[in-house]
Amino acid sequence: MNIHQFLMLGKTAWIDPPKVNYGWAVIACVLTAAMATPLRGILDLTNIVMLFLLTVLFTAARLGRGPAVLAAFLSVALFDVFFVPPRFSFSVNDAQYLVTFAVMLAVALVTGQLTAGLRRQAAIASFREQRTQALYEMARGLAGAHSVSQVTKIVRQLVRVEFGLDSILLLPDATGDLQPTSQSENPPQLDRQFMYMAYDQGEPVEDPYSGHGYGAGYFQLRALMRIRGVIVFAATEQKPGMVHDLKPFLAAVASLVAIAVERLHYVEVAHATQMQIVSERLRSSILSALSHDLRTPLTALVGLADSLALTRPPLSTSAAETCEAIREQALRLSNLVGNLLDMARLHAGQVRLHKEWQPLEEVIGASIRLLGSSLVKHPVRVTLAKDLPLLEFDAVLIERVFCNLLENAAKYAPPGSAIEITAGTREGSVAVSVCDAGPGFPSAKEDTLFDMFVRGVAESATPGVGLGLAICRAIIEAHSGTIAASNRAQGGACVTFTLPRGNPPLIEEEAEEGNGKGRL
Amino acid sequence: MNDVALNIVIVEDEKQIRRFVRSALEAEGCRVFEAQTGKQGLIEAGTRKPDLIILDLGLPDIDGIEFIRDLRSWSAVPILILSARSTENDKIMALDAGADDYLTKPFGVGELLARVRALLRRQGKASEGGTVVVFGDVQVDLARRAVTRAAVPVHLTQIEYRLLCLLIANPGKVLTHRTLLREVWGPSYVESSHYLRVYVGHLRQKLEADPAQPQHIRTETGVGYRFQP
Repeated sequence: MNIHQFLMLGKTAWIDPPKVNYGWAVIACVLTAAMATPLRGILDLTNIVMLFLLTVLFTAARLGRGPAVLAAFLSVALFDVFFVPPRFSFSVNDAQYLVTFAVMLAVALVTGQLTAGLRRQAAIASFREQRTQALYEMARGLAGAHSVSQVTKIVRQLVRVEFGLDSILLLPDATGDLQPTSQSENPPQLDRQFMYMAYDQGEPVEDPYSGHGYGAGYFQLRALMRIRGVIVFAATEQKPGMVHDLKPFLAAVASLVAIAVERLHYVEVAHATQMQIVSERLRSSILSALSHDLRTPLTALVGLADSLALTRPPLSTSAAETCEAIREQALRLSNLVGNLLDMARLHAGQVRLHKEWQPLEEVIGASIRLLGSSLVKHPVRVTLAKDLPLLEFDAVLIERVFCNLLENAAKYAPPGSAIEITAGTREGSVAVSVCDAGPGFPSAKEDTLFDMFVRGVAESATPGVGLGLAICRAIIEAHSGTIAASNRAQGGACVTFTLPRGNPPLIEEEAEEGNGKGRL
Repeated sequence: MNDVALNIVIVEDEKQIRRFVRSALEAEGCRVFEAQTGKQGLIEAGTRKPDLIILDLGLPDIDGIEFIRDLRSWSAVPILILSARSTENDKIMALDAGADDYLTKPFGVGELLARVRALLRRQGKASEGGTVVVFGDVQVDLARRAVTRAAVPVHLTQIEYRLLCLLIANPGKVLTHRTLLREVWGPSYVESSHYLRVYVGHLRQKLEADPAQPQHIRTETGVGYRFQP
């Protein structure tokens, strides 16, 4: 008898045996009486009682509790009528037989009860064992599953074959909406309210309304790290109370499924990470090869133009100018290539920041030095607040921000006007502004200025493709800062960016001379 | 540049770059030997007794860092790196492996010659061993451990002085953060670059005319510092 059949008999099989068993009990008692009658002369009445008790015991063991009770009463009646004098009457000569009856009845009832109880225990144990076996088989199947659809299939097969239930696995999609993992031929009606109740609360939810025994059960898939979804069990045939009766077992199934789904999730995560590492390596090697291949001819171009300019005898003025122009254009192209590669790197969102705690002053000085000749016409005034803390940033990238902002300022501001760099602390951040005395930003464009390939004036004579500010924004945002453009009241453009202050490390004071070897 | 012709080996796979580097250096009176590959470069370096090696990091056959390590195991000749790679890490690795300076592509003839001159000058000077170093209006008397600025004594702490000595002992050379931290603070401080930055800031405050735009203690962003006399 498999679990299914066992349950088809109903879980009260050990309490309500079929009616025919009562008939067998009656026949057993009558047979005992018939067999004992010829022995009446040989055996004591006490031993006849024993025969009846034996019959009750067998009845209890084979036929269940009800027939055992019937056999107990019947045995007492038969013993009284056929063996206790006067025979063939219920009356009793000797009052002491009343004690015999009472004891006989009591012993018959108790043994019947105990035996039937044992039988019931055995039945439950074997039923449990079969359930455990089924769970084990399923767990083994789930451990080897490598896709959610396989999990769905394994669970569906188990609950259908063993219990005649339908199962639907519901997993949240990207937006957190629960979606079934597969379509069955005639899916049971799902109630979204119950689905989310089970998903959010953790307690199994039974559908009390659909009735007719079709009440579906909604079980949360709780795994180690988080809740993975919901599994629904619904009866396919009319078996009243089915889901209700199997609740603990179905909960166990749900937790096994949850573990399997979580395992699959981590397999997926590991796979995705590996893919990302591979593609990241590929991208970085492509960018680095591109950078090398583009810069090499540009280097040759700049160098050859230089050596042409240095030939002896010296070139004519116009040829020297041409040389200089070639050099300039090559350098501009190189800048552009640099910007495009930087943008590609930053845009991929995978830039690894080499953040270090450092004073802002140093990187500003380095940027001004790096730009060198392009700032000759624009004196740079640096005003930093005295209490500027150390900031944690990637010096190379922030230098890039300053260079781009200074270059922009130098490009648009009239020659001779100063460029101002100011920095001051705000709550939780340090704000840095680079301002010029140029025409300022077109007022309507302030929001889009930081987008790629957007320029203040679309087709102006000033060179550039509109990558500078986009790169600045990408860098500052990678540092969890903000960047904004504005126009100064007295005229001129201002770009202000912030960097978070964080918790700068303490610098231990140096022991002064005199203490021998003063070390930090 | 010098009375005796200096030998320079250039290891670079791009013909046009070799060509203009060669013509620029020959105009300065140097003898230039070209190598297209790292292996050939090592052979040239072994046979030509070069005074300087110019090395492209992106060689087709061997890694530039490997080249430097190999060369450094038997020669102390100055190495100038040409780097087209965009990450600072490659420069740091090359410098830590023993390179003396680097140029980022693209570079002009002017920059190239300035670096070459600085490296050759330093090599010549190393033997002189002067005890007084002068830069700008600052005078450092190494024998007396005294620093003056415009004839006024400047007080430096022990660490500041050690840092300054290390910088002026390597004029024109880029010293990486790691090198400076290891030499001045000790090996356990190599990751604490904020110490270095703060103390360089102190030195600039005390010795530079405009600490915000330093002329002598220059920043090589993301790599280290360079002392420019």
